[in-house]
Amino acid sequence: MIAAHETSVVAVSKRTGQVLAAGADARRMLVRAAADVVLMPTVRVGRPLTVGPHPRPQPVLAQPKRQSTSGGLFVLLCAAMAALSILSQQSWASGAVDAARSALAPAEGALASAGDQVNRTTSMFGDVSALRAENQRLRAADEQLRSQVLALSQAAKENDALRQALDFERASGFHTRPAQVVGRGPDAFSRTMVVDRGTADGVKAGMVVVTGAGLLGRIDHAGPYASTVRTLADSSSPVAVVVVNANLQGTVVGGGDRLRLDVPNPSAIAVTKGDWVLTSDAGRTYPPGLVVGEVTEITRGAGSTTDHSDVAWVNDPARVTFVLVITDFTPS
Amino acid sequence: MRWAAAAAVILAAALLQSAWGPRLDIVGAFPNLVLLVVVAGAWTLGPRAGMAWACAGGLLLDLLAGGPLGPHVLALLPGVYAIGLLGRGRQQPHVLLVAAAAAVVTLLYSAVLVLPHPAPAGVAIRLAVAAALYNSVLAPFVFAPVRRMVLGTITRRAQA
Repeated sequence: MIAAHETSVVAVSKRTGQVLAAGADARRMLVRAAADVVLMPTVRVGRPLTVGPHPRPQPVLAQPKRQSTSGGLFVLLCAAMAALSILSQQSWASGAVDAARSALAPAEGALASAGDQVNRTTSMFGDVSALRAENQRLRAADEQLRSQVLALSQAAKENDALRQALDFERASGFHTRPAQVVGRGPDAFSRTMVVDRGTADGVKAGMVVVTGAGLLGRIDHAGPYASTVRTLADSSSPVAVVVVNANLQGTVVGGGDRLRLDVPNPSAIAVTKGDWVLTSDAGRTYPPGLVVGEVTEITRGAGSTTDHSDVAWVNDPARVTFVLVITDFTPS
Repeated sequence: MRWAAAAAVILAAALLQSAWGPRLDIVGAFPNLVLLVVVAGAWTLGPRAGMAWACAGGLLLDLLAGGPLGPHVLALLPGVYAIGLLGRGRQQPHVLLVAAAAAVVTLLYSAVLVLPHPAPAGVAIRLAVAAALYNSVLAPFVFAPVRRMVLGTITRRAQA
């Protein structure tokens, strides 16, 4: 009895009936070995195989006695295919060929669409990584553009300020010296700012400081290369003004974050909202005609002879970066 | 059963070749799955069965290619016949031998197939060499499962 571990076939010699190998070895021997080897099942329908010269075993797969090179078949097939190549191009054969192609088309189409799906899926993963990289690149470009926009915006502001200053100089006829704001008062009480021009540049204490929009203040202290400007917002910087439409004289005094306009009002003429307030030549402390601001709120006390108004200053000290120091005006 | 399994494998290879082969293009060449399956079959079963596989696979490729019937079979037959003769008696071929066999068959296949398509020699040679390299790389991965399937079919038939 044979107990085969891997499979239930054995290689048997046809000549002697001897078992040569079992299992996988038998399969290998079938292909490799001589012509008298047969592959036999060890168990067929529950009956054990009897091996020996009598009865002669019936082979299930045998090596040919002589290994043919099949050269004739090769030549025959080549000739047949050459003929088929010619015949299949004849018009009468086109129906059959087309029918065969049509039979393959659905399966081919299904596989192609499956391929498309796979492509879409794989390209989606590719797209995600590509999009991520693209996103990073765009983010970097966006930051660069933002900084450029910021720089351009700043340049535009400076340009605007310089244009206004130029216009101011041309319109007023005063000589001015441009200065950059390099600092601001450290507390809410002293509404001052520091500019980068000093006595070395001809800037002296008492000189009037303006922007293109209007009056800003006065040089309080001049150092060699920097000066302190006391702005109108400081309560110790009263300015004699005139209210344009009403033609009333008054005084603007700073106080905290706003300017207050005090106008003696002995007559029936009153300050109205929206009136413009300019410097007057009273006292000659400031050049006349400099814009201070616009009346926004008016408060009139009962029986009071003075109107108090809030003035919206044309300059915002927190945003001013560029000023002009009027060098040829001497306060009296 | 054995022939049905072989036919199913060749049909699947032809359809996959037609639907997916061009998607795997590298420098203009793409893998020829039918050729690799037929080479594996010819190596395992000998030249006669190999030529039968070549006829089936080649005709399917002809049908899918849309041209006349026969050129792909003619292109496959010489190489497959040679491989059938070479592989006879070699049980476990080395992976490099399999790769080399696939490359040679691909070159023969390309040489025959290029005849009815007049292409510049440089282009034809480049495509043929690229396809040969491509197929030689893939050959071991196709060879092993096809051979296992063929031998498994033989064994089952012997057991029946």
